[in-house]
Amino acid sequence: MSRTARCGALCALLLLPFAAGAQSAPPPGRLLASNCFQCHGTNGNPTAGFERLAGMSAREVVGELKEMKAKPGEGGIMRVHALGYTDEQLQLIGAFFAQQKPAK
Amino acid sequence: MTTNRRQFIQMAAAGAAGLALPGWALGAPAVPTTGPSGRVVVVGGGMAGATVAKYLRLWGGTRLEVTLIDRSATYVSCVLSNLVLTDAVKMTRLQFTYAALAKNYGIQVVTGEVAAIDPVSKRVALTNGAAYPYDRMVLAPGVEFDTYLGLDSAAAKAKVVHAWKAGPETTTLRNQLVAMKAGGVFLMSIPPAPYRCPPGPYERACVVADYLKRKKPKSKLILLDANAGITAEKASFTRAFTVTHAGVIDYRPGVTINEIDATTLTVKTSAGDIKANVINPIPPHRAGALAAATGVVDVNGRWAGVDVLSYESTAMPGIHVIGDASATTQPKAGHIANQEARVCADAIVRLLSGLAPDPAPVTNSACYSPITANTASWLSVVFQYDAASRTMKAAGGGVMEAEVATKKNYEQMFKWYGNLMGDTFA
Repeated sequence: MSRTARCGALCALLLLPFAAGAQSAPPPGRLLASNCFQCHGTNGNPTAGFERLAGMSAREVVGELKEMKAKPGEGGIMRVHALGYTDEQLQLIGAFFAQQKPAK
Repeated sequence: MTTNRRQFIQMAAAGAAGLALPGWALGAPAVPTTGPSGRVVVVGGGMAGATVAKYLRLWGGTRLEVTLIDRSATYVSCVLSNLVLTDAVKMTRLQFTYAALAKNYGIQVVTGEVAAIDPVSKRVALTNGAAYPYDRMVLAPGVEFDTYLGLDSAAAKAKVVHAWKAGPETTTLRNQLVAMKAGGVFLMSIPPAPYRCPPGPYERACVVADYLKRKKPKSKLILLDANAGITAEKASFTRAFTVTHAGVIDYRPGVTINEIDATTLTVKTSAGDIKANVINPIPPHRAGALAAATGVVDVNGRWAGVDVLSYESTAMPGIHVIGDASATTQPKAGHIANQEARVCADAIVRLLSGLAPDPAPVTNSACYSPITANTASWLSVVFQYDAASRTMKAAGGGVMEAEVATKKNYEQMFKWYGNLMGDTFA
């Protein structure tokens, strides 16, 4: 794939939420990723401990979850969540948190 | 800067009043100014209702008018309430107001008693005469409890409490436990499933047994279970009953209560009469009274059937039912109610925008259960939507539980609680 084509795909992805106007579909991955909010805070900003997911790279989030998925005995309660999602869903979750601002 | 300072002062004031208010109100995300127009009225400000109100605004925007109605200005958390019985947690730590939701997200918070919901004129009427019109409404009325034969009088009701809705009864039960003599019998019972918080009664038995061992030597806890066996965290609680609390907890599955004599503190059961010093029966549940009054109860005469893509009632279009009152394959508990609320909020925002709900919602259940005064286990499961059965189905490894109760889990329980309540009420 050429650099231009890659940039085109990326730009399209970034512009998607703005281009479609007020009645547009919600950002992809938001509802899925909101499954993490109970323990990791609204938009991935926890207030009482546990890892801050807001602002983490998708690679890091997905990487950690896939490692737990692969190894029995890894991750404790988090392994349940790693196992519960498809790889495609994990990517969407990772991409959502990468776009969130870490709260100060 | 000024806003942050003002919020900080308000938080400090709330803290002084003894009401828990999560610290991150300082950094609450902004409500967008784009989105659909409409009016949504939410009735019931528990875990489900408070969360749906917040996310309707956060995801729906400022043109979506959201009203949250509850009869009480303060919510008392059922989560962690078993720890109030042993003084490990103070009641004030369970109390939350709606002030942060009103301030951070522009939700109209109304304290009042609902008289009627009219699905034809689409209005919620209060007993004080006020009426709130809606385009869609969300009903989150929680649960109602059956009354045992023998507990009709006010005196009997004051003496025998379930404390399965946290509040004054929690304090009553705590006082009864503290006043109980050493060598006494604490009797509790579990209703047939489905009931609120599947591991909760077993957790309470463990927490109380641990307290009895420390403070009331030679006492016993009799645990009657209307179910055929342990309904949640079977490995953890089997170990707790047969090893950790062996000789204190007397677990009797398949036993139901027929009648309770509050004067002699005698329980008439399907397996004979039992006398105790403290009686703590958890009665069978059904959807909160408003659900039946509104006409959305259509499952087993007790629960509100819903389409889990949007939580819209199967009996009444335009009314969404979330939390413990709805009949789904998911457990009735605060953590998952919080996620059901987000699926519902997302669906309502889409519907008001002329879009269809997300066709593949996911939810999860997770909780920590104290087993002793400083150890806890956990339970968790992810649910994915199954289009063939139109239900939420356990995914991945299914329902999983901690291999062993640990101190680390006990510490993580408070992080879980803090973040869950922060996400729900701030």
